[in-house]
Amino acid sequence: MQRSKNSSNLQPVAEAGPGGPGVSVGGTKSKFQILPYLLVLPTLFFVALFTIWPTISSFVGSFFLQKLNIAKYREPSFAGLANYASLFQDSTFYHVLGNTAFYVIGSVPVSIALGFLFALLINRRMRGIGLARLALFHPTVLPMVSVATIWLFMFTPDYGLFNSALSFLGYRGPENWTGNPDLALIAIIIVAVWKNAGYYMIFYLAGMQSLPREVYEAARLDGSGPINTTVRITLPLLRRTTLFVTTIAFIGAFQTVDHVFVLTVGGPSNASNILLFYLWQIRFENLNVGKASALTIVLIIVLLVFTVSNFLISERRSGNE
Amino acid sequence: MSETGAVRTLPVGRSRLTPGRVVLGVLIAALAVVWAAPIVWAVAASLRPFEYPLGSGNIWFSHRFTLANYFKVGSLAPFGRYFVNTVVVVVMTLAVQIVTSTMAAFAFANYRFKGDRILFQIILIQMMIPTAALLVPNFATIRFLGIYNTRLAIAIPFFGSAFGTFLIRQAFLGIPRSLVDAGVIDGCSWWQLLVHIYLPPSLAAITAFGISSVSFHWNDFLWPLIITSSDQSRTLTAGLVRFTQLGEIGAQWQYLTAATLIVAGPLFIVFLIFQKSFIESFVHSGIK
Amino acid sequence: MRRSVLLSVLLALLVAGTGLFANGTTETPASSGPVTIQVFYPVAVDAPIAQILNGYVTQFEQANPGIVVKPVFSGGYTDVKTAIQTTIQGGGKPPALAVMLATDLYDLINAGYIEPLDPYLAKMKDSSSYLSDFYSSFMDNSRYNNKIWSVPFQRSAVVLYYNKDLFAQNGLSAPNSWASLATDAQKLTVRNGSDVSRWGILWSTVGLPYWLFQPLAIGAGKNVVGPSDTEVYFNTPECISAINYYNSLSHTYNATPPGAQDTWGVSPGDFASGRAAMIVHSTGSLAGILKQAKFNVGVMAVPGKQPGTYASVPGGGNLYILKDAPQAQKDAAFKFIQFLTEPDRVADFSIKTGYIAARKSAYSTKAMTDYIAKVPQAAETRNALQYAGKELSVQDLAKVRDIFQNYLQQAFNGKLSADVAMQKAQTEADAALKEFK
Repeated sequence: MQRSKNSSNLQPVAEAGPGGPGVSVGGTKSKFQILPYLLVLPTLFFVALFTIWPTISSFVGSFFLQKLNIAKYREPSFAGLANYASLFQDSTFYHVLGNTAFYVIGSVPVSIALGFLFALLINRRMRGIGLARLALFHPTVLPMVSVATIWLFMFTPDYGLFNSALSFLGYRGPENWTGNPDLALIAIIIVAVWKNAGYYMIFYLAGMQSLPREVYEAARLDGSGPINTTVRITLPLLRRTTLFVTTIAFIGAFQTVDHVFVLTVGGPSNASNILLFYLWQIRFENLNVGKASALTIVLIIVLLVFTVSNFLISERRSGNE
Repeated sequence: MSETGAVRTLPVGRSRLTPGRVVLGVLIAALAVVWAAPIVWAVAASLRPFEYPLGSGNIWFSHRFTLANYFKVGSLAPFGRYFVNTVVVVVMTLAVQIVTSTMAAFAFANYRFKGDRILFQIILIQMMIPTAALLVPNFATIRFLGIYNTRLAIAIPFFGSAFGTFLIRQAFLGIPRSLVDAGVIDGCSWWQLLVHIYLPPSLAAITAFGISSVSFHWNDFLWPLIITSSDQSRTLTAGLVRFTQLGEIGAQWQYLTAATLIVAGPLFIVFLIFQKSFIESFVHSGIK
Repeated sequence: MRRSVLLSVLLALLVAGTGLFANGTTETPASSGPVTIQVFYPVAVDAPIAQILNGYVTQFEQANPGIVVKPVFSGGYTDVKTAIQTTIQGGGKPPALAVMLATDLYDLINAGYIEPLDPYLAKMKDSSSYLSDFYSSFMDNSRYNNKIWSVPFQRSAVVLYYNKDLFAQNGLSAPNSWASLATDAQKLTVRNGSDVSRWGILWSTVGLPYWLFQPLAIGAGKNVVGPSDTEVYFNTPECISAINYYNSLSHTYNATPPGAQDTWGVSPGDFASGRAAMIVHSTGSLAGILKQAKFNVGVMAVPGKQPGTYASVPGGGNLYILKDAPQAQKDAAFKFIQFLTEPDRVADFSIKTGYIAARKSAYSTKAMTDYIAKVPQAAETRNALQYAGKELSVQDLAKVRDIFQNYLQQAFNGKLSADVAMQKAQTEADAALKEFK
């Protein structure tokens, strides 16, 4: 039975049917139905209680000056936009922003591309392919804290596995991955890519295995080579997968900083300090509650802008198909 | 709803060895070896006696193997209880998430109602905001509810899941209208629609979500640590923390790796056994 | 198929329902009957701290019926502090007792989390001899505004470990100055080709660079911090010469990896396996090193600039009483502090964990003297204390320390010259500290 591809429309097929609120599928009545609201209520309740409410309280808190490590500022006092001003005048903030941009640009496309390549390779019948798939996917089931700790060893100069492998391949450059300000961020990116590429591979695998054979038969008959086929056919057909994976990869890049804690602690000299880690420092080390709330709001806005535009673009695009 | 066997997208390779296939095989093997090297090393290091520090001789194997590291690590933290707690938390979280997400996804997929877009966006916000940023307010809420230091407290912020709602809604939207209409015409109540029409083809998506949820909550580290203050309710990652933060003495690789494998092991083994079906579920989950 | 779906959903709901009841204890309300106190405790060494502490708790409870002690092991120092912060700011009652870094003092006072111990000390029989029995370098981090705010408990110090056998083989004696340290390290570095199979010395400057660096500044003649809580001395000729000396170890003597080196985690292992002839590290690593090294391990304070001078700096955690806990709990907590810091127990703790015994009289106990006879290094770690200066601890510590480490690392990595780096560090630190003066 063919599955329809109209997975994007929100509305039921309503030909000449009545629009209006609370209309159930195919119904001709236009009476208000409370059911959908009730169904959404539990999820909404928990999200409101543990995400929305704390965010609002952070938002409010961002307008108050509160520094726990200075006795006279221990209680919050209204300060208008002072926290935001302090944030935007802080050179470290811009350093962190730059690092974060570099980190996201460095880790997200690379892990997605690798995920896609892995899926291409793994998507065949071959002896031992299951083992290879396991090898590529397994980092996903490990806790990031453990992953980072293991990579602490990998990055050890001289005899760490990563450096041994590199020098085996002829690399003679700097090896101080976690202590060299030019390399620290790259080290963090490497760990993130290693952990995530296999996760995205699974989504692409799934996508690839649902693609129709006929197109490929036709391409083969037309004499299209493997690279051409991949670029012109596979990739475009997997556009929705790519969009989905990009969204979760992007969000994930902002949300995980366990590896920073373990590997570089944001250093050296703030070289690997990224937004969430910086937030942590301000909140729990510098004890500057107000400024931390302001940074939280900035972080949320950045993510919101991306996600909403991503969502809108995807809705519009598939609406046009 | 499965097609006859997995659909191959690339031309099925001929089963005799061609040079191309050999090269490909070598490439894949090399990739797998490289990618697996860190965890293989971790296993090797965890079996290395503590008296032989890494760096001497070689970094892989000394001439003796021992399980002593596991016993030592096991004695330093109550991993048995942690394991039970982790299972309880993870199962509890997933069970509630599936119920709430399925209901919400059904509402968004099957109905059009005022404010549905906005409500969906609001729920999606959860995906964007890192839990770490909301530690203190959430802690206050937990305290207010009187459930501090319980397994319920670890799980409850996640009872509503934006990711789950998103994924399952996606799957529900892929169900052909004709089926749904047929159900309505047959006089199905909403409950029957959900259970008989929407759910069966979407089990794969729900499984996919389940894997993500279990992975995430099994390995979640910071929130469980903050919201519990005793070993009674703590999860496996809490045990791990005792070994990654040995501030005074640097890295004891043998213990670190043994502790890591104890924590990550169960999930890893489960995945090993159910690999095929997990992947299949992702395949059919309708994420296209 | 549908029935099984229904069944699974019901099952799930059932599990969720039981989950609501499958809980550990919630906060214990204060009640008549035994006073229960919680102790938040970090685990920073691989000794079976939980066992050791639980042993002390059992002994204490037997001697003090009516008090129940519940240790809570919360990860590292950071986690303990975070847990306490989250608890208090979330409106909860903190534990009565916690072990936190000695240097957290000012932050904890300013945040209103801790209270002075003088009222409790006043009720003691002989508090002045009690206090003076603690090593003064440890007590330095407990005083503020003429009050005592914490009691030293698990303290360590920075020392130089050296491979005595290697030194003997190469006809060298233990270094006693910057110059001899450098030349010894140079001599003991072994290269084959471009690879180094043995470094003369490993000296980590990533992670917590300030701690291992302070002995160099102290050894140069002036510590980076003084008795004041609002003054730092980064931009001094002594500090600058210390940085230049550290850099010379790699650039001139080729005895250590160049730049800010991230060897905190690996140096004990490297030392024990012979990949490093000397390391600068915490006394806390002694136990592990002794277990792994197959040679004679020497321990000493870090040599100073002038021959015959030495330097060190203390570290580690103290016992703090949290202000917002109920008074009955706080009284019980102080009793527990007294118990934990009895000389025999201090000695026992030191022997079992490798921390330096915080009280002088602990070293005259039989257990300790016997131990030192077997493991002379334990006495050497204590001896290093006499050369210790104050550990960096000022107001707004996290920020000031960040500034210092930022510029230290830039100087080590060659991005800035030492004097420019320290000048900038001083300026920024002074700006940060201005509020507190």
